[in-house]
Amino acid sequence: MSFTDEILCTKSHEYILKEAGGKYIIGLTDYAIEQLGDIVFLELPEVGDEFSKGDTFANIESVKAASDIYMPVSGKIAEVNSALVDTPESLNEDCFENGWLVKIDSNTAEEEMSDLLSYSDYKKELE
Amino acid sequence: MVKQTYLHDKHVKLGAKMVDFAGWHMPVQYSSIIEEHKTVREAVGLFDVSHMGEVFISGKDATAFLNKIVPQDIEKLDYEKAVYCQLPNANGGLIDDLIIYKLGIEYYLVICNASRIDEDLNWIVRNKRGMNVKIDNQSHNYSLLAIQGSRAIDLMKKMGYDIEGQKSFTIKPAVIEGIKLLASRTGYTGEDGFELLVENEYSEFLWDKILEKGEEFGIKPIGLGARDTLRLEAALHLYGNDLDETTTPIEAGLSWSVPKDKKADYNGKDVILNQVANGVDKKLVGLVMLDRNIARHGYDVYFKGEKAGHITSGCVSPSTGKNIALAYVKNLKEICTGAVVQVMIREKLHDAQIVKRPFVEKRNRVG
Repeated sequence: MSFTDEILCTKSHEYILKEAGGKYIIGLTDYAIEQLGDIVFLELPEVGDEFSKGDTFANIESVKAASDIYMPVSGKIAEVNSALVDTPESLNEDCFENGWLVKIDSNTAEEEMSDLLSYSDYKKELE
Repeated sequence: MVKQTYLHDKHVKLGAKMVDFAGWHMPVQYSSIIEEHKTVREAVGLFDVSHMGEVFISGKDATAFLNKIVPQDIEKLDYEKAVYCQLPNANGGLIDDLIIYKLGIEYYLVICNASRIDEDLNWIVRNKRGMNVKIDNQSHNYSLLAIQGSRAIDLMKKMGYDIEGQKSFTIKPAVIEGIKLLASRTGYTGEDGFELLVENEYSEFLWDKILEKGEEFGIKPIGLGARDTLRLEAALHLYGNDLDETTTPIEAGLSWSVPKDKKADYNGKDVILNQVANGVDKKLVGLVMLDRNIARHGYDVYFKGEKAGHITSGCVSPSTGKNIALAYVKNLKEICTGAVVQVMIREKLHDAQIVKRPFVEKRNRVG
């Protein structure tokens, strides 16, 4: 199974995936990165920060524009991909396996994910 | 209705990401803004800037008329020379910025911003009352192709163009690849290069020829995204960002384009010359961010805890790796080159240092 078979996507282009350990991985879809173009800046939250579904938890900038990144579900930041902050341009190569943004703990994720789309449905919506 | 240039289908076929810009469907990038930017600095790029406005001005009073609407002294403009100007309103605020080319006796070409052409024409027509002047807007009949970069001159020579004797800021009628056009040694990148004004029907042929002949010099088509980062590194103003009807040429740091000894009266002259004599309340400065954050248009600038201005343009500078910006700030002695100010980005203050402009040395003043 590939990475994208397991993710669920928001209409604002975040993805979420449940890890074996019970944490949820959050990132931005390849479509979002492609639309942004050359990524030059990434700001991530701190471990322990808590957010509700729909809150802005991170910021990303390409050469052209700055964008907010929203929480697909509510939760508490458990881990951040801090290497990405130093090399945000690597998101242009890989926004999935190595390009995840944060991992969170969430008790409400399962019910909050009910309105998210599978990657293939998400791709269809974009057409 | 969004307009398309004659080269629109070329851009789409090249895989460009298209955006609406000033009422035109234009390529913002073909591959990557950073890559395209570096191509222009290190090799040569081809731009479709056909959205820009071209207005021919002729008639017995053409010189006197232009002298009435811009601060530059058009009486002193020689045949085949170009001059950068602004179009001030009665208060010295800017309706647009332009390049005026002298093509012959009482015969001029004005190139203006796509986003301002309607306002410009409206203003120009209001100002011509009682004068013998013909205003001929030919924007819809001409395409404008820009060849810019460190290898631009090599490419022009390869296409058989004799550049000897054609200095920066001059324009000449020419035949390139069998096509009659106007070749202007100007641009908007800080690099040397040419802008070729050609009738629409020949633009596709010329575009293809330039890409073909430019291959050995590493040519690429360049979108509006890189055009913006290139011009900002060269600290060239963008109308709508760095200039508008609330800014004068003196506030914008364009005093060099305002002769102090011009006899003829022009719109806004009193205000502009008063600012030359007595100073301005705000001034345009260059900023380099001292952390990784990027200042963007509209962000507030602080000095010693107080709001002192705002960012007009900002981006990453692909040539230097720094994050650069232009800002209007209060004209205080302490807010000077070397001083540190703060930019409010997402509700936090980030240090930036005032630096001399341009951010990257210009290489376009040749000859």
